[in-house]
Amino acid sequence: MTLLETLDKDLIKVPLSSAEGNSVIDELVGLYAAKYGLSDSQSAAIADKVKAREALGSTAMENGIAIPHARFSDIKKNAVMIGVSRLPVAFGGKEGTRIFFLVLASDDNPSEHIQLLSSIAKVASSQLFVRMLLSSKNADDVYRLFFE
Amino acid sequence: MKVPFGKILVYLDGSEESISALMYSILLAKSTGAELHAVYVVNTKALSELVRAHVFITQEKSEYLADLRKDSARHIRHAERLAGSKDQDIIAKAIEGSPAFVIQDYIKANDIDLLAIGPVNAIRSRRDELTSENDRMMRTVPCQVLIVRDDSGIWEQFEG
Repeated sequence: MTLLETLDKDLIKVPLSSAEGNSVIDELVGLYAAKYGLSDSQSAAIADKVKAREALGSTAMENGIAIPHARFSDIKKNAVMIGVSRLPVAFGGKEGTRIFFLVLASDDNPSEHIQLLSSIAKVASSQLFVRMLLSSKNADDVYRLFFE
Repeated sequence: MKVPFGKILVYLDGSEESISALMYSILLAKSTGAELHAVYVVNTKALSELVRAHVFITQEKSEYLADLRKDSARHIRHAERLAGSKDQDIIAKAIEGSPAFVIQDYIKANDIDLLAIGPVNAIRSRRDELTSENDRMMRTVPCQVLIVRDDSGIWEQFEG
């Protein structure tokens, strides 16, 4: 599945309410947990794995975007959560991060996971696209941007 | 280039859709006598780009590279098994690089007449960054392209 096929409006949050890095991860994983009816402990286990990966090296890029991610043996379908914060959040980069793409990937198909991350990194390198993402007012705006 | 075709190449990317393209190509080669090739591309270009963009740490790149190599070996074996089950010869290999460029070079080096790929993006975007490898190949390869849809009962027909 490509990034476009993976995007889900229910997994986009604008604006994020969290002001701290780990809370942003919790908030975005919370979207996934709500969508798929996960328990609190399942949700916490997913968030912990993403935080553990992030602790090895921040995925924050120079342009205010971060792509936290982790792989799971019990996730069969890749998922991408998108969050846009009104204010910069400290996420390990030189500057604060305002746009988050959190990727939960299945262990089953590493090739598809690479393609997904690669597509996100490519759109994230477009200054115009980043500006448009930052000016999005809600999940619909973000979702629409990818299909224009 | 031979018309209609003497050599078919299937692009394998680890997806179920590319397995469907492979099955279809095996049946096609069998019924036409065409020579059949299959290539799985280990996308090392994307891995390097992800490290450069700080999405991957070096350790992660090595882990993914090992996983992709394992995945490619598994798919090559599977391709050989599937072709063998229909008594069809196949030249199957894994190559590392950028998928669209690897496939283009392979087509030129081996005089391939027809490239078979899985479906292109069902959802369209004008954003170039979101172009899939299948889309890119469809637009750039120097031979005819067969897009194999995954919804036509190929698996049943192959196994039947």
